[in-house]
Amino acid sequence: MQDNLAVGLGEYKISHTVSDVLVAYGLGSCVGIGLYDPQLRLAGLLHAVLPSSPNGAVEKSAKYVTSGIELLLEEMIKAGAVPSRIIVRMAGGANMLTAPGFAHTFNIGTRNVEAAHETLQRLRLRLVAEEVGGTIGRTVRFYVRDGRMTIRTVGNQEREV
Amino acid sequence: MDEEYAKHFQTVLANMANIGIRNAARGMSAMVGEDLTVTMPTVKAVPFYEIPTLLGGPETEAVGIYLRVEGAIPGQIMMVIPYPKALELADLTMGEPPGTTKHLGPMERSALAELGNLTGSFFLNAIADKAGLAARPSPPAVIVDMVGAIMDVILATADVLSEEVLMVQAKFLRNGRETQADFWLIPDHHTIETIAKQIEAKNAG
Repeated sequence: MQDNLAVGLGEYKISHTVSDVLVAYGLGSCVGIGLYDPQLRLAGLLHAVLPSSPNGAVEKSAKYVTSGIELLLEEMIKAGAVPSRIIVRMAGGANMLTAPGFAHTFNIGTRNVEAAHETLQRLRLRLVAEEVGGTIGRTVRFYVRDGRMTIRTVGNQEREV
Repeated sequence: MDEEYAKHFQTVLANMANIGIRNAARGMSAMVGEDLTVTMPTVKAVPFYEIPTLLGGPETEAVGIYLRVEGAIPGQIMMVIPYPKALELADLTMGEPPGTTKHLGPMERSALAELGNLTGSFFLNAIADKAGLAARPSPPAVIVDMVGAIMDVILATADVLSEEVLMVQAKFLRNGRETQADFWLIPDHHTIETIAKQIEAKNAG
């Protein structure tokens, strides 16, 4: 038996219950970033919407990739995780509108992914796998049992990142 | 905005949307060449984060028709239709018997885009007339994907995750066939102020 724990827009959740699966449903330009401490079997998944706060770092929010990763890492450390052990998997960051004339949303997915790469590097967190970009939505599952991440797209089977 | 005024403002917006949706039905009638009527349009404010649940969950496959609005009242209009309903709507728009469209090819997508375009334009015209503010829609974009991924398009432009947006629900009837369509109106932040000021000016005058 497995229990799906939904991680909503602008949220993160952590779990060390091995039967739990953290799920971010229907990611478009949003990114799902999973942190995993294999020794503790502690997993955390962030569902971030935008790269960073537009008016500087006013308030730390899980809505943003930059502050979201920081908040999730803090929460993981509080629960006993050791940063040097943590591995990261990531999926999402699609560009849903590619037609000309939508420049305002055009590259938000790409910018989310770039913000994640920068933040992970700054925090010295090790990214081991990712499936990002493209023009399709994805549901992301992050398994507490072994830190596996899978994605599902419309009309396709679940597959590993 | 105090509570009473906010309520009043919402009523005014709801009335505008109501007129807009009836106007949109006229536009659609002209497009399909037959009488298309709208029944029971409802307008209400709903928190943005509740939208996916209302559409069957963020993983539900749906069709989004997206218009960016430019002009005096910039914002976004998104029409979201669950996939099976979109097939029905494609049949209805193209004058095919129910059940003809099995998947959305370029032709069907284009028909839906045109439908969204017309609906959006007529809708905006009504609002523009009522408020005396001009607005025009961008060419429509059609997105076939999960509801969550479709709604991300709105969040990429407007940070409305924890805010309320206007939902317009309407049933379109043609020859006894009925299809429901939901619209989401997401005005840019300063657009609300523009409309509020305009209403105030009208009330004062």
